[in-house]
Amino acid sequence: MTLSVHVSDIEKLFREHNRALIAFLQCRLNSHSDAQEVAQEAYLRMLTLHNREEVDSLRGYLFKIAGNLAIDRLRKRKVRNEFAAEQAHDEPVVETSPDRHAMAAEQVVGLRRALTELPPKASQAFVMHVIEGRDFGAVAQTMKLSERMVRYHVANALAHCRARVDEKEMP
Amino acid sequence: MAKSKHDEIVYAAADWWVRLREPGAADETIEQWLAWTGEDERHLATFERVTELANQLGSLDNVSRQGLIKAFARPVAAPRRWMPLAAAAAVAVVALSGGYLAWTRFASGNASQVYASAVAQNRDITLPDGTQVALGAASTLTTHFTHGQRRVELSNGEAFFQVIHDNSRPFVVAAGDVSVRDIGTAFDVRRTGQRVTIAVTQGRVEIADIRQKAAAGQHGTLDVSAGQLVSYDPHTSSMTIGSIAPEQALAWRSDRLEFIDEPLSVVIANLNRYSTRQMHISDTDLDTLSYTGTIHTDAIDSWLSALPQVFPLRVSTTGNQVILSDAEHSSRR
Repeated sequence: MTLSVHVSDIEKLFREHNRALIAFLQCRLNSHSDAQEVAQEAYLRMLTLHNREEVDSLRGYLFKIAGNLAIDRLRKRKVRNEFAAEQAHDEPVVETSPDRHAMAAEQVVGLRRALTELPPKASQAFVMHVIEGRDFGAVAQTMKLSERMVRYHVANALAHCRARVDEKEMP
Repeated sequence: MAKSKHDEIVYAAADWWVRLREPGAADETIEQWLAWTGEDERHLATFERVTELANQLGSLDNVSRQGLIKAFARPVAAPRRWMPLAAAAAVAVVALSGGYLAWTRFASGNASQVYASAVAQNRDITLPDGTQVALGAASTLTTHFTHGQRRVELSNGEAFFQVIHDNSRPFVVAAGDVSVRDIGTAFDVRRTGQRVTIAVTQGRVEIADIRQKAAAGQHGTLDVSAGQLVSYDPHTSSMTIGSIAPEQALAWRSDRLEFIDEPLSVVIANLNRYSTRQMHISDTDLDTLSYTGTIHTDAIDSWLSALPQVFPLRVSTTGNQVILSDAEHSSRR
């Protein structure tokens, strides 16, 4: 006998884990609206799951589906950007990202100052990954570092910048 | 100093952010992260804050983005020097220097015209050849036109040129050590002392360093296309190339000055062209602070009042002068 996933199961997952799911997807996708769309789709996929007994953890399965959908979406975004770049020939192309954030000039200056407080390698890895949007592998290659070191630098710089921006907002 | 509990959580959250970014992150990593978020309610909230900052930074406006990339993502590369000359271009430069010599010899016999604008006033001009010039405030331009060449000297300030192209009569703008030759184009030139920036909004220009051209074997020109921004730094005689949208390059015509990674001294010198109250930097330490942002020329006062929040300086007013001084110096005294 197969047991399908019930709507009430999905509701429970949503109640207990939706916030974490959105945070996880936002980390992957850099966009709140994309994160919400992908989360919706993941819940829908859960409903069409037929052999529930093969899944040990519904939560684990939800995050797995969401993670795969996020990978698909990133791949599509990449294709779209490459196509746009080709269309524009040698004109400079700004990578399209779903939402543009306007940051106040003062905030950008604050951020810049926070970055100068870091070791040059940390700020370089951070700007290349977070601002330029290059993946860890590409940054590692350019900087002649291991990916593990790049991740370490990026994490440190991100934490430092978050802490500095917080100080400014909550003196 | 030991990290506070709050900082510890921020560092842990950033570490999770980096680990979850990996498309190939293992299921166990996600499970461990979920367990971490369940340990303390601040954990997920902090993770969200870290993610939010990364999202914002991943989709910055192009000016800030380019400024940060330029400042931090290329620290090992020396400023780009003049590009080596290809043979064909060498011929062009020799021809151009010939033109320049001819001009100096005959200049005295030709009519020159000086155009100047007042503080806080932009001015539109049509040159005798039909070229349109938008002259920024407190700027001075001198034209020297001969039948073989149209030469314009920008001695201070900013001007945007929409050139009527004529192959037999090149249009050259000289600004300090830099000359800009049009190849069918619209471009903006800003001169602040010996520092020069050129933004091309249409077509192409050829940029040359006049002093390097004079030195044997150092001839160099640079081809720059629409959407590119070139800054010439007189201290190192080097230039850097970035990108700029036409609306950014011409923002000054709509009362907004845009700066990408410019020294504070340059920002202040340009603002002074639009301000009846002149600003001075009293501590040279402040000169080199790098500024990126937009300033509305009709709201310079509010920009000034916000400045001490972003730079370690003090703003004081004496009569009709505004003094920017080092906040630390004044507090130590």
